[in-house]
Amino acid sequence: MTNAIEITDLSYRKNTKTILHDVNLQIVQGRVVGLLGENGAGKTTLMRLMADVAKGAKGTIAINQETDGTKRRGLISFTESLRGFRPGSKLSQIRDVYATVYPDFSAQKYIDLTTFLQIDDDLELNKLSRGTREKFIIALTLSRQAAVYLLDEPFNGIDSMSRKRIISSIIKWKADDATMLISDHYVTEIAALLDEVVIIKDHTVCTHKSSEEIRSQFGIGVEDFYESVYGGDIHDDEL
Amino acid sequence: MEFDDKIPIYYQIKNDLYHRIVAGDLAPGEKLPAVRQLAVDLTVNVNTVQRALSEMVTEQVLTSKRGVGNFVTQDTTKITALKQRLSHGYIERLYTQLHALRLSDGEIVAAIQEYMATTNEEE
Repeated sequence: MTNAIEITDLSYRKNTKTILHDVNLQIVQGRVVGLLGENGAGKTTLMRLMADVAKGAKGTIAINQETDGTKRRGLISFTESLRGFRPGSKLSQIRDVYATVYPDFSAQKYIDLTTFLQIDDDLELNKLSRGTREKFIIALTLSRQAAVYLLDEPFNGIDSMSRKRIISSIIKWKADDATMLISDHYVTEIAALLDEVVIIKDHTVCTHKSSEEIRSQFGIGVEDFYESVYGGDIHDDEL
Repeated sequence: MEFDDKIPIYYQIKNDLYHRIVAGDLAPGEKLPAVRQLAVDLTVNVNTVQRALSEMVTEQVLTSKRGVGNFVTQDTTKITALKQRLSHGYIERLYTQLHALRLSDGEIVAAIQEYMATTNEEE
């Protein structure tokens, strides 16, 4: 089994403040992994470093063995905030930008995804509800045929119908050999989607475990496990 | 299908398929939906479905044809054995619980017969 993601001794400081330290993480190709942790734990920073959006960390990050930032960026499809686009932009114009910038953008996949997620791409960006905006970001992100997908809190503050559609679209359209990292601080609704969970605590990887192993070893769900690890009910020597 | 998050999901998928096969909802020789379709229907990870199906292929409850799909076994002795295994599990649980209530074997049989008689009457 090859590792799609290999992070070695990664540390990152911002204005003398430690954001991440001594992060070591290997993720096998094809897995769907939940990146869990409280707000401010460093989940988003870790994704930004992987995607080469944030720079200046110590240590190495390899995506499909590529450590070079520019090459990594080409292999990763990262959900973005769309803040760089004019609020009045039509969704179809944003799609055109994506299609130009990313050679791996699939027009067909975009059509399939927007149809399934019920997105009208004649709309303007500033007219979208929270749920539709998140769905559109997912459609753009998954339309790229990337090796690794990084979804940063894609379910934050959206209605349950949109959430279900997004989950289904991930199951439907993630290629077998594509690897996916999904950050969240609440997991119950996506637990069945995750092969593994990585818990970030105190600025580093606190535990990395298969979801099924959590269920069989501890007899608890992923959410309970996460809370137990955070609350200190499960100690390091039990992991 | 609703999953219990405390129990391995592949195990629950297997159990659900066992019951559908024994009940005949999935007939001997019937082709199962594609792995990804099952994953979408159950809203679970594709790898989890794959694990459940591979184990059932190893157990010879399913047969796998490369590039074609997974099929319920045509060997009905396998299905009969599965039926016995499942019902044995239920009976074992029931018997253990009634035994713990200090019912004698005779009382257990009588209680079950009485229960069946009244339920069949209601139907």
